[in-house]
Amino acid sequence: MPIPESDIIRLERKPLNAMESLYLPEVVRGFGTTVRHFFTSFGQSKLPILGASKTTRVMQYPEERREDLPIEEGGMEESNFRALHRLNRDEDGRVKCVACMMCPTICPANCIHIEAAESPWDDREKYPAKFEIDELRCIFCGMCEEACPVDAIELTPVYDFVSHTREEMVFDKEKLLSIYDLTIERKPM
Amino acid sequence: MDAILDSIFPLSPQFFVGALTAVVMVHLILGTIPLLIYFERKISAYIQDRMGPNRVGFDLGLPVLQKLFRGFGFWGLGQSLADGLKFILKEDYMPKGADRALFTLAPALAVVPAFIGWAIIPWGGEFLLPTIEFFGREWVSGGYASVMVADINVGFIYLLAIASLGIYGITLGGWASNNKYSFLGGLRASAGMISYEIPMGMTILATLLLVGSFAPSVIVEDQVRNGWFILAQPIAAVVFFACILAEANRAPFDNAEAEQELVGGYHTEYSAMRFALFFLAEYAHMMTSSAFFTLLFLGGYHVPFIELTSPEATGFLAVFVKINVFFIKVVGLVCFMMVIRWTVPRIRYDQVLKLCWSSLIPLSLVLVVATSIMLKLGATEWWQMALMNLVLLIALVPTATLLFNSKTVNKKLPMAGSRFSPLREQDVSTAPVSRTALDDDNPFNKAARPV
Repeated sequence: MPIPESDIIRLERKPLNAMESLYLPEVVRGFGTTVRHFFTSFGQSKLPILGASKTTRVMQYPEERREDLPIEEGGMEESNFRALHRLNRDEDGRVKCVACMMCPTICPANCIHIEAAESPWDDREKYPAKFEIDELRCIFCGMCEEACPVDAIELTPVYDFVSHTREEMVFDKEKLLSIYDLTIERKPM
Repeated sequence: MDAILDSIFPLSPQFFVGALTAVVMVHLILGTIPLLIYFERKISAYIQDRMGPNRVGFDLGLPVLQKLFRGFGFWGLGQSLADGLKFILKEDYMPKGADRALFTLAPALAVVPAFIGWAIIPWGGEFLLPTIEFFGREWVSGGYASVMVADINVGFIYLLAIASLGIYGITLGGWASNNKYSFLGGLRASAGMISYEIPMGMTILATLLLVGSFAPSVIVEDQVRNGWFILAQPIAAVVFFACILAEANRAPFDNAEAEQELVGGYHTEYSAMRFALFFLAEYAHMMTSSAFFTLLFLGGYHVPFIELTSPEATGFLAVFVKINVFFIKVVGLVCFMMVIRWTVPRIRYDQVLKLCWSSLIPLSLVLVVATSIMLKLGATEWWQMALMNLVLLIALVPTATLLFNSKTVNKKLPMAGSRFSPLREQDVSTAPVSRTALDDDNPFNKAARPV
């Protein structure tokens, strides 16, 4: 559908008047803006110089984090943030996963690798003998979380995980379970 | 042995002081440039409501040094050092087909003119050097000496000469890279720099008409007596400042390396310390230009309302204070250039040349004529000259519209014989001329050809 003519605002560039075409007075006006920003930002550092107000728009990342801020001030909503995976435990501390293979099936990045085995417990048939997620391949779409019938796999708000090698970024079952222990306080099941 | 020493010593006082100044100043400037780069980053950060480098210290990541320099990394002062270290460790890359000799020579040719300009800067004025005697021999004879490398009386002609030399490094760097974008960058730089030398020479002329000498020391003394020339010739000061911005390839005239919209510029193919030399040259150029501006318009080492003492009464402390005053003025001007970079948007390339040829050159020409008339009338007091400048400025407002708003911008030049403006008997065809393009077996052509 074409945009109706009444919605189009046609802008004409105004011709410069004599003062503006001299260029320099406008440059001097521009200095006002630049210098104002300079002096309001000067107090951003922790040294209170010249009594400038702290108008920081910068977060000093490793010390200040978005998750520490209220959401109204640009904080992070942790309940649905999609970052590092975890494998949930049940009440007895066992892995909740029943190795149904839903998550590797739906995973668009093919980053989940599960090897199922017969469960040593009576209440389920299978359990994952091996559960690996390649976090470098993962696109953090959250489809595995949606597909899981027993809420065993979940994404946590832990976004700052790094490693020296690619192998370390392939998270195995123990590592994923330890992430559960780390994040259960921040994100209850 | 004694005969040889006798033939060399005692040195003349000017030679001794000049050599000392050269050695000290080269190191002082080289040491200031990392600090200026830090200033540039900090100033741009504050203007853009950021913080700039505030973490890098001098510990180089070593735990031992971290204990030693605890707290020093707070202001990010080590950033320039870290950058320099990075430059040393980078691969020294030379593109295939580059002219090896010129490719190596170009960064040096860019740096050297920026540094030799310092030779005529009068840092601390004239003073009476006492005789230096030890080991029973007179090493330096006493006498009057200026704190400058060479006290020559053609100082500003020398400035114009070396200002042109800076272009060689940039143009050669672009040409030797065997890269058409580098070459175009070099051409942009050279066209701009050569054009802006004309109004620069004119404004120097208009100012020096008031002095009647090219010697830097005489220029400073004249300003001490009659007031700084920025009061007497404000228009010349503004035009000269615009010209040194263009000469140093700084914003808003930095079309040579317009990093946001064009391919790098003349140093696209440069890496490691070769690139660092170009970077160094830019900042050295800024400092040299600022020093000349200080010398010509801001009274050199003169502090307002303080009379200079005679050379006999000038002690070493006074010389030291004068050098500091000069240096503070230079660094202040460089910081002003940095603020300009974040205030004035970059001018399009044709506008850069148009600004020069159709407004700065006529303006400076008019200024030279007006100054000559004032000299003929004998009205050379600073307030009379300032009044003349004001009258000129008011007269300029109606003419400015004529100068800037001509309708010939972006005129498309027909290229005779091309596809779009063919010759009379020429048969124009838009069919593909490449043989592979006509090849029906080529799957690319089938896909690309419209049905």
